[in-house]
Amino acid sequence: RYVRQLQRLQLLFSPTAADARGARQFVEEAAQDFARQHPDVVLYVSPHKGPGPAPVLRAEYLNGTVREELIASKTSEEIVQLATKMANQSGLDIIRIRKPFHTDNPSIQGQWHPLTNKPSILTVQGPRLQPQ
Amino acid sequence: VEADQAAPEKEERSEPSLICPPPRSRSYFPPEDLQSCLESHVREVFGPSLPEDWQQTPLQENRLKHRLLARLAAELGHAVPNSQLHQMRRAGDVLGFYRTPVKDGSKIDELAAADLPPNLKIIWQQ
Repeated sequence: RYVRQLQRLQLLFSPTAADARGARQFVEEAAQDFARQHPDVVLYVSPHKGPGPAPVLRAEYLNGTVREELIASKTSEEIVQLATKMANQSGLDIIRIRKPFHTDNPSIQGQWHPLTNKPSILTVQGPRLQPQ
Repeated sequence: VEADQAAPEKEERSEPSLICPPPRSRSYFPPEDLQSCLESHVREVFGPSLPEDWQQTPLQENRLKHRLLARLAAELGHAVPNSQLHQMRRAGDVLGFYRTPVKDGSKIDELAAADLPPNLKIIWQQ
């Protein structure tokens, strides 16, 4: 069974700052839809009064990673896309994966790809274009 | 005698409280008998000189206009702002203005009070 790795999303913004306009529109329009589509993520909306730090979307994952993304001067749709992207990620760090092994001949009989051992007409007609 | 009179005067004059009073709420909801109330006020202020449809009475004379708007503001507790006075040219305009409700809180207050899905929490004091 699939367990979503995103635990909670915190939306920190100021109710009066100009660059938090997208964040405010997101809260007014799209936050409820997002919360309904992702029922296993808790969304905290915390506006802080007065001039404060830049508006930020903080994501906390099950392995403890906390990732902050600036949402200053972003539109509501962009914030929705960003939130869905963070909801589909795991909490692993986003760095280059280095492995302690290396080969000069990675494949002898040819590397497998999804069209090996399938009829060759699929390269032309594509997957299941005709309804059965 | 003068000293006795001065002392009770000072005690009656209480000190001004240092706590700032909360601002007046600007919310307004139109009452149900708005139209009849407005019509009665218009007839009161304008007297006999009314066209057939009372909503078409022109508010050209400034005194009568002021009288009407002041009475309505006193009764309903909601005054026409200065920036919209020039738009009130007929009694129908005034009726339209008093029909629009005015909400007080910000959108976040409304959202916090409305029904939310269980995983959406709004942390907002005020």
